[in-house]
Amino acid sequence: MRCVSLIEVAQLRKVFRRADKKPGLAGSVRHLVERRFVDKVAVDDIDLRVEAGEAVAYVGPNGAGKSTTVKMLTGVLVPTSGTVHVEGRVPHKDRIANARRVGVVFGQRTQLWWDLPVRDSLELLRDMHGLSDADYRRNLERLDATLGLAELLPVTARKLSLGQRMRADLAAALVHTPPIVFLDEPTIGLDIAVKDRVRAFVRELVAEGTTVMLTTHDLGDIEDICRRLVIIDQGRIVYDGDIGTVVETYARERTMHFSVAEAPASLAGIAARLPDAAVAEGPSDAQLDVTFDPAVVSSARVLAAVQAEADVVDLRIDEPAIEDVVRRVYAGELGAGGMQ
Amino acid sequence: MASAQAVAAPGVLARVRRNAWLYRRCLGAHLRSTLEYEADFWIMSVSAVIAQGVGIVFLWAIFGSIPEINGWTFWDVAMIYALVVLSEGLSVLFAQGAWSMAFTVNLGGFDALLLRPFSPVLQVLSSEIGMNGLGNVALGGALLGVSVAHVDVAWTPATIALFVVLVVSAALVKVGLNTATNAAAFWIKTPWSMFAFSMHTFGELARFPITIYGIGVRLALSVVLPYAFMSYFPAQAVLSTGTAHWLGFLTPLVAVWCLVLGALVFRRGMLRYESAGN
Ligand SMILES: Nc1ncnc2c1ncn2[C@@H]1O[C@H](COP(=O)(O)OP(=O)(O)OP(=O)(O)O)[C@@H](O)[C@H]1O
Ligand SMILES: [Mg+2]
Repeated sequence: MRCVSLIEVAQLRKVFRRADKKPGLAGSVRHLVERRFVDKVAVDDIDLRVEAGEAVAYVGPNGAGKSTTVKMLTGVLVPTSGTVHVEGRVPHKDRIANARRVGVVFGQRTQLWWDLPVRDSLELLRDMHGLSDADYRRNLERLDATLGLAELLPVTARKLSLGQRMRADLAAALVHTPPIVFLDEPTIGLDIAVKDRVRAFVRELVAEGTTVMLTTHDLGDIEDICRRLVIIDQGRIVYDGDIGTVVETYARERTMHFSVAEAPASLAGIAARLPDAAVAEGPSDAQLDVTFDPAVVSSARVLAAVQAEADVVDLRIDEPAIEDVVRRVYAGELGAGGMQ
Repeated sequence: MASAQAVAAPGVLARVRRNAWLYRRCLGAHLRSTLEYEADFWIMSVSAVIAQGVGIVFLWAIFGSIPEINGWTFWDVAMIYALVVLSEGLSVLFAQGAWSMAFTVNLGGFDALLLRPFSPVLQVLSSEIGMNGLGNVALGGALLGVSVAHVDVAWTPATIALFVVLVVSAALVKVGLNTATNAAAFWIKTPWSMFAFSMHTFGELARFPITIYGIGVRLALSVVLPYAFMSYFPAQAVLSTGTAHWLGFLTPLVAVWCLVLGALVFRRGMLRYESAGN
């Protein structure tokens, strides 16, 4: 089969079979005799194409099926049905060839050898990937510069702190400079400084033309790095498109926060002047918030309306953010199929 | 950054060589980290010697009251015993990782292995180095040295070479069987290798001339899970005793079969692998 895109996923599905046990010991014993299972559809017929050099953010609420998708894309899991091709290869069948071309980080679980110093892990990976000494040294130097590896090299993986482990894991995943990188929650549990470092590093990878698929709950990660957003919910892709577009389409509303000299007796006056906006009390007496769609009401009109009713001391505008869209998806407002 | 070297489709020989080299590299790295815990090393080695030594004392006690069992003298049985301890020791030393399978597979650690460009089964086997194997090898070697002097064998370079081949094959029989039985972890979803351990314990029966058992046990030990090929059969071949001592010469073939069996069961299991939901 000839593949046009770098990553091609068609009708991909993963069903896990879980034992259907009643609680308690009695339930367990009963299960021994009468084995019952329930199917859990983790990934439900998804289609996805990723072109070389793209940076894709793959987001969705807990349990949506993100990690399961990434595991199928990297050959860890065998799909229940559907197809996956990465550079034309089927990852779970051609695992070793695939492993040479991709780098994977699962933030939740380390891929280092637990009982070995980081240096030994990296050297074993060097040999498995068949890197020359010169290439290895060059790559390591560069990883050291961004991730501060030097201090971690002699430490046994099991003794690393979470942030240190993540840096070492990133190095292990990228030591062979893979052209395709999957990052599943690479910033989980990191402090702000390390998080920034990791983000800067991933941005650099993207700038160099590496194809990146990034899964995260920290939306700060994606605004920095990705231009394309894929949202998955309950195993289905509910949005796939440009991040800017999704914000314009689904997070158009802005909020103006006003501080006024004296709280107006009632907000009704302002509300009457702005029938197309929502006027609400602010966090304190002398504050009020107006939420509006700039395509319907201009900012100038909102300001004029408020000034007509109160003495404005200060104001601040909240720009729409990707978080708002995603939050709405998570809250179930924009369900499956509702956005495409 | 320089990109990963493209490795052209290698020939079979090159592949075997690469796998052997990577296997040694993995074991070596674990050896270094294991040796950091010097106390552990001595405790493990000494307890291995004690554990196996108890069996020998037991043998000696039995033969104290009965001079022969089914035509086997104490020294004949000691030789079987030495072979088991030696091949067991080699398998522990070089492929102890088999016993980590239940844990790795059922707590999700197996993901990492699938993401590295090296055969998963070889990664599993080389993921541990059993230092207690050294104790076994030392004790087995000593017992062998003593029993060799008492058995009726003409030691020529040919018999010595045969002997070495048989010991190595016997160890590989154990490695193959360990892999196959431990791969049950892909079906039995607990982090403990109980099934493999009970099979291992069953295999211990082959430390004695298997003619003392009924036909069922004999078949199980020589055909179903041929543990007898790590002890009884090769010992027979060396001693040239028993009704079918030529069977022992098949040990290298049985070793290949056991390794293939281990690889096949492992591969079947791998298709069932479901990772873990974080
Ligand atoms: N190995 C497994 N066995 C059984 N069920 C699983 C397994 N892995 C995942 N699941 C189930 O599949 C669903 C999707 O899980 P997945 O880990 O893909 O979610 P996720 O989107 O990565 O969530 P999170 O944001 O919490 O990491 C969940 O309901 C989970 O319970
Ligand atoms: Mg996840």
